[in-house]
Amino acid sequence: MDTYDDLSPNEVNDLLRKWRENNERKSSDVVSLWMNVLQAHSNKFGNEKYVLLEQIIYAMLDCHLYGLAKGLIYVLSLEFPRSLRVMRYKAAALEAEEKYDEALNVLDVIINADETNAPARKRRVAVLKAQGLIHEAIKELADYLKKFMSDVEAWQELCELYLQVQEYSRAAFCAEELILHQPHNHLMHQRLADIRYTMGGIENMELAKTYYCQTLKLNPDNLRALLGLFLVANNLLGQYKSSGSSKRKEAWKLSQWAQSRVTAKQREAKAKLGLTDMMLSLSLAE
Amino acid sequence: MGEVTLETIAYAKLMLHAAKYPSCAVTGILLADGTNIRDGAKNQDLNIVDAIPLFHHSHYLSPMAEIALTQIDTMAQADNRVIAGYYAACENFRDNTVEKCPGQKIAEKIAELFPSAVFIVIDNKKVMKHLDSPAIKVHSYNEGKWKPKETSNILYQQSYVLETVSYLLQALVYKDLVDFDNYLDDLTLDWTNLGIEKVIASINASNSIEREYIEERVSDKENDY
Repeated sequence: MDTYDDLSPNEVNDLLRKWRENNERKSSDVVSLWMNVLQAHSNKFGNEKYVLLEQIIYAMLDCHLYGLAKGLIYVLSLEFPRSLRVMRYKAAALEAEEKYDEALNVLDVIINADETNAPARKRRVAVLKAQGLIHEAIKELADYLKKFMSDVEAWQELCELYLQVQEYSRAAFCAEELILHQPHNHLMHQRLADIRYTMGGIENMELAKTYYCQTLKLNPDNLRALLGLFLVANNLLGQYKSSGSSKRKEAWKLSQWAQSRVTAKQREAKAKLGLTDMMLSLSLAE
Repeated sequence: MGEVTLETIAYAKLMLHAAKYPSCAVTGILLADGTNIRDGAKNQDLNIVDAIPLFHHSHYLSPMAEIALTQIDTMAQADNRVIAGYYAACENFRDNTVEKCPGQKIAEKIAELFPSAVFIVIDNKKVMKHLDSPAIKVHSYNEGKWKPKETSNILYQQSYVLETVSYLLQALVYKDLVDFDNYLDDLTLDWTNLGIEKVIASINASNSIEREYIEERVSDKENDY
């Protein structure tokens, strides 16, 4: 287990800041660091104290420490009466306790007071998702994206939700939108390729091939894309039967290339060559 | 007929997988001992000897699932094991039915190839640090549907299963569990989780010594009378 025993309050604060910035939740670690180290020193950190408290509140809610979280929310609400951000914590606490209707009411109050409050609107989607109302969540999130079109995180979530209900072509649309927003992020290209491969059919395979190749251009070390490309190439070899065609040759080359890259990567990691064996057995089946 | 025996290792791995990713759905494969297995027969007795944790994200995409299953199949054949089932835990805390689980197509494919297959759903609400029930629901495939199995048909190979797994949960062993997603991120990791197998084997060994000791004490007492 990770030990944080000999960290000073300042070091703990730096660590928590790092987690905040990297979106690492690590709730139980956050709570125990707060209880054991930071709690007594929280006034040292000036204005950073408030974002720190926000992090602690969410961590406590994750760990079902509702009473403690509410205590902190109360402290903050005394310091910032009428703050919408503090109201969001209240909604989060209600949500954690599964009081969904009350949570939605609080969120609606926030949205009425500030129409541009994106986090509160997204929370509404989360409440619906928590209740298992996936189709309602999709509708709400799609409405949200009509207003806040540049929210990458929301497109990503919508993509996930569409996948969950097996609406692959809509999910692919979201993935394309994500590529437009982050054209240099290899993961976005890989995601679209994965979706196209899952959809199947020769056209989608060709698209998947292109996007896997683009992923590998952006990040030659993306193992999932290498393996995906191998699968696509194998599949295309099955589609293009006539042995002399240039398309078949290209697919063959890609398949060989992906295999050798994966083998090299396993050697690099000094790992067993399990993936190589697997690929060999797949190519033999072809 | 149709009895399912779970080795502690298999049960522990699926529970630890669910514990490692409490906010995600998790899925994996169950392997049974291949001796005494007849191809194509329905409702056979199964001895589930291992579980392979697969994914905790991108459940609805097929490429990596194909990669993982091909690799598991190769490995299983070499060890005289068969792919005999599927396990899953839902993303939503309250969901504990097959219908809400990801990867049902994979599970159906397994059942197509191996009609005695089982589908284990982890019952999120019953998972706790001190397990007072196994927190799983076992289903078998019948006429195109997954039907719950009688709990009397589910046996555990070793004694103290719940105690052992509770101990692993309390000791945060789940942090060391490696699923196929972890492996694809870092090829040096071991998705067969030999390390955890060793821990469980040593717990099982000490449990059986303890039991022998208790049994000896009991028979000593009987002799006294």
